[in-house]
Amino acid sequence: MRGGSGILAGVLAAGWAAVWLVTQVLVDPPLAVLPTVVVGVVCSTAVVLGYPSALRGPRVARAPRRPAGVPGVRRPGLAATGRSMPLRRGLTPDAARRTAQLLRPALGGDAIAITDTEQVLAFVGPGADHHEVGGSLQTRVARAAIERRRTVVVHRRADVGCPVPECPLQNAVVVPLAIGSRVVGTLKVYRTGDEPASRATVEDMAAVLSLHLELAEMDRERHLAADARLDALRAQINPHFLFNILNTIASKARTDPEEARSLLLRLSDFFRYAVRQDGHFAEFAQEYFFVRTYLTLEQARYGDRLQVRYDIDPQVLTTRVPVLTIQPLVENAVKHGVADKVAGGTIRLRARVDPLTRTTSIRVSDDGVGMAPEVLERITSGRRPGTAPEADGGAHRHGGVGLWNISQRLESLFGERYSLDVESEAGSGTVVDLRIPLR
Amino acid sequence: MDDDVDARDAPAEVDATFRTLRRVAVGYFVLFLLAVVGFPALSLTLGWWSDARLAGGMSPGFAMAAFGLYVFFAVVGVAAARLSGAVEARMLGDDARDAQVASTDAPEGER
Repeated sequence: MRGGSGILAGVLAAGWAAVWLVTQVLVDPPLAVLPTVVVGVVCSTAVVLGYPSALRGPRVARAPRRPAGVPGVRRPGLAATGRSMPLRRGLTPDAARRTAQLLRPALGGDAIAITDTEQVLAFVGPGADHHEVGGSLQTRVARAAIERRRTVVVHRRADVGCPVPECPLQNAVVVPLAIGSRVVGTLKVYRTGDEPASRATVEDMAAVLSLHLELAEMDRERHLAADARLDALRAQINPHFLFNILNTIASKARTDPEEARSLLLRLSDFFRYAVRQDGHFAEFAQEYFFVRTYLTLEQARYGDRLQVRYDIDPQVLTTRVPVLTIQPLVENAVKHGVADKVAGGTIRLRARVDPLTRTTSIRVSDDGVGMAPEVLERITSGRRPGTAPEADGGAHRHGGVGLWNISQRLESLFGERYSLDVESEAGSGTVVDLRIPLR
Repeated sequence: MDDDVDARDAPAEVDATFRTLRRVAVGYFVLFLLAVVGFPALSLTLGWWSDARLAGGMSPGFAMAAFGLYVFFAVVGVAAARLSGAVEARMLGDDARDAQVASTDAPEGER
């Protein structure tokens, strides 16, 4: 169970046990059933409602769970070996070594080697003294398998092609490892006896390994895409914002040096936070700090035209939310909502935790100029901005790029388990509702 | 000019912190009130509360008045104080930033 659900279940069970003990066992006569149930329900409700702030406990990094082994079986089956393959994290020397150790009993070879296209990444078994890890490919048979992109089976020691005369390896089955159509390495199974290992078994296992390498590549690409989206959000900090704030600070430098200095500190905080966030999640309190730093700078620029009202639930402060997600929503409210309204307006940030649905909800609203229905439809259509033909030739000011970027990031982080709703009416303001799983 | 000028909290931030702390205070006050009001209510409505006997011949109501309420008040007081302190630390000042970058911002000689 994730996120402390186990603790919650344990405390609930302990609460009901305590109620039963106090009302039924330690007392004479025992309490009637209905009042006992009422007492238990009241206790349970209190525990569930107080859970996010009181019971979630310290968050510590947990070691990844090891896949469950098969009790009592020393030689892993082919399927079990395939499921627990370390190559799922990529073709690295460490993963290759662990894979070779795992495969040796399953494939029935005396020695197992895994290589990339240049060097030996792992070698387990007889001959490890001269088939050195990190060394270049010594055997002709490995180069032949890579060049031909197909399995090579050799039955004689001379065909193995090891240049060391004392090498005990007599035959080999070498199967290329491929990601798509690109050969990235080989799986080699050597034997010291007369018969080579089963070609079909080795090819099956190589296919499993290739699949794992392909999945590892996809994982890497997915992470790169998520990082790129985060970088895009960082890069989206508008240079005009910087120019405007610097102009504001310059204008206050003579009239109010204290405030100018305070604003410079805030500006430093703002950029430091934006640049130094390297993970995808941060405590809500940190994101809140980023938002209020941004809004303080904007308030210095807009003066009384920009009012801010925060409504923060105490339980939400320690939850973890995606970084750089709330500030762009607030920035949109300032730029497209309040800034265009002559009389100014109020930005409201509301954050709540729902302990029962285990959801964090964040609402950014403004009473600015709002959006026309066609603009709202385009923004909420889910299409990538700029990909659809625009009636106004793309000259509109609501690009929707930031919102689309946030939506894509949330999708990569939460899949379908989030919602981002936008409601707006021209002249009445805009409300953006974000709901994400409680972390 | 004083070189130790800190970034001051904006009125909206102080206002927000006040409202959040008020919510904490109201929540704990309601809890306190429920416990205090619940005691006589149980005595009036549930005969078992006064008639049943625990170890030592005490009724559940007596045991609660003698021990339980003090423990409950202590727990509620400590929890309210801790939560209020945590809320204030997270919603005001720049502690979040300090905690995050303290190590990376230290001058070379101080690391």
